[in-house]
Amino acid sequence: MGNVPTKLDDGSYQGDSRTNTSVSSSSNSNTSAASSGNRSRHASLVNAILNSGSGGAMGSPGHSRNVGPYARKSTREREEIKERHAKNLVVKYDENVDGGFMAPFGCYSFDKLDYDSGIVRGLIVNRKLAPFYTPLQDFDDSWSRMEIIKIVDGLPLHASFNENPEEFEDVPIGNLRKPNFDYLIDKSLPKKEKRRLHSKIFQARLYRKRMLWQEKANETFLEHKIEARKNTSKNKYLPSDDLKYELYKNGSECPICFLYVPGPLNLSKCCQQPICTECFVQIRRADPHFPHEEVDPTQPVTDDSEKDPNLLISEAANCPYCATPDFSITYQPPEGRRTGLGGEPPYKFTSQSQSAVENSEKHGVLTKESPLVEGDDLKPAKSVHVIMSDTIRPNWEVRLNKERMRLARRSANATAIHVSNRLIDPDYNNDGSGNGDSSPVGTNTSNRDRSDVTIEELENQMLNEAIRLSLEDKKHSSSRQRK
Amino acid sequence: MASLPKRIIKETERLITDPVPGITAEPHDDNLRYFEVTVEGPVGSPYENGIFQLELYLPDDYPMEAPKVRFLTKIYHPNIDRLGRICLDVLKTNWSPALQIRTVLLSIQALLASPNPNDPLANDVAEDWIKDEEAAKQTAKKWSKLYATPKQ
Ligand SMILES: [Zn+2]
Ligand SMILES: [Zn+2]
Repeated sequence: MGNVPTKLDDGSYQGDSRTNTSVSSSSNSNTSAASSGNRSRHASLVNAILNSGSGGAMGSPGHSRNVGPYARKSTREREEIKERHAKNLVVKYDENVDGGFMAPFGCYSFDKLDYDSGIVRGLIVNRKLAPFYTPLQDFDDSWSRMEIIKIVDGLPLHASFNENPEEFEDVPIGNLRKPNFDYLIDKSLPKKEKRRLHSKIFQARLYRKRMLWQEKANETFLEHKIEARKNTSKNKYLPSDDLKYELYKNGSECPICFLYVPGPLNLSKCCQQPICTECFVQIRRADPHFPHEEVDPTQPVTDDSEKDPNLLISEAANCPYCATPDFSITYQPPEGRRTGLGGEPPYKFTSQSQSAVENSEKHGVLTKESPLVEGDDLKPAKSVHVIMSDTIRPNWEVRLNKERMRLARRSANATAIHVSNRLIDPDYNNDGSGNGDSSPVGTNTSNRDRSDVTIEELENQMLNEAIRLSLEDKKHSSSRQRK
Repeated sequence: MASLPKRIIKETERLITDPVPGITAEPHDDNLRYFEVTVEGPVGSPYENGIFQLELYLPDDYPMEAPKVRFLTKIYHPNIDRLGRICLDVLKTNWSPALQIRTVLLSIQALLASPNPNDPLANDVAEDWIKDEEAAKQTAKKWSKLYATPKQ
């Protein structure tokens, strides 16, 4: 096992695998849902959101260009996907389900919200996963109904942002309204450096944009709350006092974030321990890494760069409570509190109402007969669904394979460099150990002046040598395995 | 810097109001994610009577990422290297966000009671340990007396 302070794999965010840290392509279809939320406040919102979720749940049915998870996406496409994902992470007061929301409150940092937001939104609307609730820092059992309502009224939609995160401190962002920001990058820089800068600026801009989007949503929330208080006309998306009280009087502390959230919480399938959705979306597979073996201290340790990329693994997340493999949760939605998307309007909720589900059928403003995900029937609330950690990050296998490919490419490159060095300098890597390998490559050319060797020949030789080395390598490792 | 998550605040409070026997952990005044830690050597182990100083740091992604812990006191142990770094599963692959500062420190105390030379960090110590366990334990005892005895 390695030392304590470093992460197992340090390369997973470099090179081509960088795309993997972003959202999977399945959230592609979410733009319309996220942006139309501001304008149209009709049942179409439900449709839009449900459809956006469906894209994810169905594993993104064919997009016109670049089909397939391994298809190389252009920078532009990757950035669009990231931006759509960031829009999905904005908490909007009118996108609520049973008193909770479609996006996290903000207990964990933005760059760690790399789950598939389309899938998660779909699961929440379908009541298969608890919504994201606004947490309370503490809860006191002695609080009266009035006190609880007052506290809930003062809750923000989202945690405050770190306005100037260190990583973006000196990164220019330019005019956010203009999509093109090439003018921020010095054209005389080398291509690689330009690309690095572009990516950094994009991230900084996205961070800032998301902050502004959330602030806009916060303002709308506040304005509408004030309006609703002044006018007699109710805002149907805002919760009734009964709903506020119902939500928070029966909450509990999540054992991972230690925050107080309304129930019911998701339960681990294996040991029935509660976990809030904000924490659940943080539980992920291990990044691709080589298996950790107990080693014989008297033997030298094999360097990671010498290992076969196909040995890379990524174990499914274990249950945080009992370590059962393949962490999954179940969720039983509240029976008397089906409000918001796919339920009764939150402002109509009353504690007296025998069954909120019945109510929604009578007065349903937000109809629940919304188009469902094809092949994904909305089962009665009572049936229990199991959501695996992998369900919300379905791209793990693609990530793993891409990392394997990256390592394989890197070692091929290393071999090529190694070989070309030998060709140029016959003494390179000749430690005089006297075994045949240390002689310069291509003895058939040794009687010729090296400078005469054409590029093509050189490439051929490199290729042959690379093949020979890799065959030798294989022999080595298989003989090692046989031991 | 971003505000301190509730979880860290509550854990710190509980560490102070309900301390673990044989272990202390106090946050630094100017960085509440940095803790000064002492662990008493377990009774019956070569580290008995020693008081070991450690530092513990809660990274930004805690509790999704394990705390970073290091021995500051020199110690002779197959799973702790010369820099004080610790080879312990719960600090690496077996970390779970349901674990806490408290449980991590208890695991470290348990590691002192039962070293695992087959999964070493300090290779030379592990080799000694496998070759001659008694002699290795004597060395560990000597080092404890030398480096981990509280100064009066
Ligand atoms: Zn939680
Ligand atoms: Zn469990």
